[in-house]
Amino acid sequence: MVDKNQAVIDYLITCPQILNSPLYFNFINAKNDTNQFLTSSRDAYTNIKYVDGSVLKVYTFTIITFKSAADIAVPKLIGYENENVSDMATIQSLIDWIHEQEELRNYPNFGEQCEIDEILTTSDSPNFDGIDEQVSPPLAVYSVSIQIKYIDRSKMIWR
Amino acid sequence: MAVSQFNLTAGQRAERKLLITVAEWMEGSQQTREILGTRTEDSSIEYNPDIETTTDILGINYTDLNRTQPQQDFDPYLILGGSKLGAKLNDIRRRNALSELNQFTVYVITAFVGTAGAYEAEKHTDCSIIYNSIGGDSNVNFPISVYYSNKITTGTVDKLSDDFTFTADTSTVVGG
Repeated sequence: MVDKNQAVIDYLITCPQILNSPLYFNFINAKNDTNQFLTSSRDAYTNIKYVDGSVLKVYTFTIITFKSAADIAVPKLIGYENENVSDMATIQSLIDWIHEQEELRNYPNFGEQCEIDEILTTSDSPNFDGIDEQVSPPLAVYSVSIQIKYIDRSKMIWR
Repeated sequence: MAVSQFNLTAGQRAERKLLITVAEWMEGSQQTREILGTRTEDSSIEYNPDIETTTDILGINYTDLNRTQPQQDFDPYLILGGSKLGAKLNDIRRRNALSELNQFTVYVITAFVGTAGAYEAEKHTDCSIIYNSIGGDSNVNFPISVYYSNKITTGTVDKLSDDFTFTADTSTVVGG
């Protein structure tokens, strides 16, 4: 049986934003430019069972990203690049990448018994979860929740 | 002939997946089959009984069942890659070749009766499978209805896959 966590990691490391920064699995390392893969639920039933015996399930996980944050106000100069704004854009690129993969129907490999129907983010922009001002420079915490909907055929009796 | 008992333990409920509907048709000289119900959450065979009840002068009711017209709806029936029946019906739809819609054989397999290698089944010949609409919102839905002919041969199937072999109980057709 395919380990879905490993399958998702193998998939995510093809994303440039994930590939270019350290990725931790179910571990928080609060440093600038690190990504944390946190599992939210796995093989959760959505209560949608089909008459042929297959079941729609959802695999949910969250990517938390730490970014050092600028503690200065945004200069009121047109076109001036603020660090926090560009960090947000970097994290947004993960969401864009997920959307792009959905368009391409490029999904993780959950094995022969599972057919992935859709990968999606639960929001169109990263969640800003807070800022740690106890460190210098301060660390901003962003998160992106991702769902993978798939049809599990392992309980079907029709082969 | 003795009534076959369920292959379930006492009180065990039969899962819906144990009631299987399979469509069969000829694709050129090739016999083709497909299980119905992929991505359908709920589907039942409705018997649509034609019932006539009379009451005598003593107040006793007499109910006659003149006929049944079994029908099974599959909604949603999504256009899915790899669906042979979906492709067949869509081809009929675009040609408006309505007469080709009543050339299906439909098996109803009751996998909760029988044993591995001999599950009870009914073979309905000359059935109609009719598309009701096409469209929907985010995915193309092509809901269909199966109209059973009542031309039934009872028997068993040896396995639960498209390449099953149907063995008739007798050569007599029990309906129709």
